Amino acid sequence: MSTSTSLSTRLADIDERRLLLLATFVPLVTFFIVVWAVPILYALGMSLFTDPTGASVFVGLENYAEILTAPDFLTFLWNSVVYAVSTTVFSLLLGLALALVVNQQIKGGNVLRTMMIFPYLLPTLVVIFIWQFLFDPNLGVINQWLLDFGVIDEPIAFFSTLQWAMPAVAITSVWKFGSFAFFILLARLQAIDPNLYERARVEGASSWQSFRDITIPHLRGAILIILLVRGIWMFNKFDIIYLATRGGPLDATTTLPIRVYELAFNEVNFGGATALAGIMFFLLAMVAVVYFRLFTPEEEVAA
Amino acid sequence: MMALGEGAAGSYVPQRVQARVKRVSLVVVAVLVAIFVTIPVYVMVAVAVQAPQTVFAGGDVNLLVDSVTFRNFAVLFEETATVQYFTNSLIVTVSSTILSTSLAVAAGYGLTRFDFRGKTMAARAVLFSYMFSPIVLAIPLYVIFFTLGMLNSYFALTLALTGISAPFTIWLMWQYFQTVPISLEESAWVRGASRTRTLWDVVLPVARPGYVSAAIFSFAVAWNDYTMARVVMSQDEMYTITVGASLFLDRVSIGWGETMAVSLLICIPPFLIALFLQNYLLQGFNVGGLE
Repeated sequence: MSTSTSLSTRLADIDERRLLLLATFVPLVTFFIVVWAVPILYALGMSLFTDPTGASVFVGLENYAEILTAPDFLTFLWNSVVYAVSTTVFSLLLGLALALVVNQQIKGGNVLRTMMIFPYLLPTLVVIFIWQFLFDPNLGVINQWLLDFGVIDEPIAFFSTLQWAMPAVAITSVWKFGSFAFFILLARLQAIDPNLYERARVEGASSWQSFRDITIPHLRGAILIILLVRGIWMFNKFDIIYLATRGGPLDATTTLPIRVYELAFNEVNFGGATALAGIMFFLLAMVAVVYFRLFTPEEEVAA
Repeated sequence: MMALGEGAAGSYVPQRVQARVKRVSLVVVAVLVAIFVTIPVYVMVAVAVQAPQTVFAGGDVNLLVDSVTFRNFAVLFEETATVQYFTNSLIVTVSSTILSTSLAVAAGYGLTRFDFRGKTMAARAVLFSYMFSPIVLAIPLYVIFFTLGMLNSYFALTLALTGISAPFTIWLMWQYFQTVPISLEESAWVRGASRTRTLWDVVLPVARPGYVSAAIFSFAVAWNDYTMARVVMSQDEMYTITVGASLFLDRVSIGWGETMAVSLLICIPPFLIALFLQNYLLQGFNVGGLE
């Protein structure tokens, strides 16, 4: 910005408006071309070749066919859906429960609100370290408590046991991301006009009725946003799962993003990795169409 | 959920008993959530500031802190490249924060103050890229950086990290500049100030909460990042703290004490932000969904 200042004073007779226009759009356009457009087009190109880093051979859509017909593909897709849906729904329930509690202005509500922001601020790696420790079969306190209360007979290695890996990863994720739903819902709850409740009470509505007829309708839009946006993000999550389990044991927690990484860096199959990325891109685009149909976020920024 | 639901409907419950049940269930939920949220953080701190022999004495984990020691931190600094990793993280995080925020301020101002066709498309493109999976962007970036010989450079990682944060910071500033009335600028122009002068002296000060939020966000994204650093940096001395520390548990000499100590160190910058910039942070939450 400072360069544009000195430029414009030196070239005072040149239309300043035009200069400012250039100064604001040139960086934006350049950046998006360099960091978004080129890599994405490059990836789409790569997905049509075998081994694009060596002697590349054009294979058309063969990589896509191979990825889609691989016997594991449906497993990875299923894992992604299970992870995305379970973490989104439980984050929503946790956030909703806490938002309703804090909105009641009980004692310590402010403390709860501040506490909710902590897990959200902790970097993913730290979250994983903490939960790996809590779930540790030898030293972890969760196993100790479960043993003490007689729930289990022997310790469970949660992150490396076939049927527990996914729930353990999901619990960890909900712990970190629950506050997202909480803050959105709390903001919406606090925007509801208290007179609505007063009028309902005067007309003899029970508290359940006014919850159903006032609170829920006011939260509907926020809940929809959380389900859609949080769902997309969880479907795309890579780091938290990779750090917790590397996609294992076996393929128990291998979601599509994990698979993209494996294909690229473990199997050095960039054609396959970019083809799978292309498939994820396509799935995301379809959801985005729904998103832009349901909401018109671009209207929030005057068109 | 029933009890909770009734709680939300207001405090006008006709019967005493019902009111008490509601009260109790509210407190129960609050306490349960508080435990769920707090205990893991507490455990991290408790393990980090005690010597392993104190924490793990007698087979059971002792979580009551009675003797604080910095032994774990000392081991980190003596036996690992923690300082180097931290420096790398700081360099790319600060660079990316500056790049992402200035890009957002310029773009946000341009998009609100100038008209052009296809603005709706631009808004959708920005939002769409915000939903994109970092790993999907990381693969082609890796190949491109590899081809250009740019792997293991601060510059490449800064670009990649800014790619992840910029869609949201741009969106944020785009929305924020709309809350700045154009009449402010017009009155400055009338008094003879140039457009650039006005931008500098009138618009930017008013937009401060906006770009502070944008900076906090891009700082958090870059500091938190594991994916991009993992892909772009393959030399040990170029690792960021998240990638470097993620390898600690594979090392025999590093145990849970040191691991929790490094975790605590990684948490310091975000906590300082939360402590001093909480209001900006909440404003950021209000303008749009933070990731």
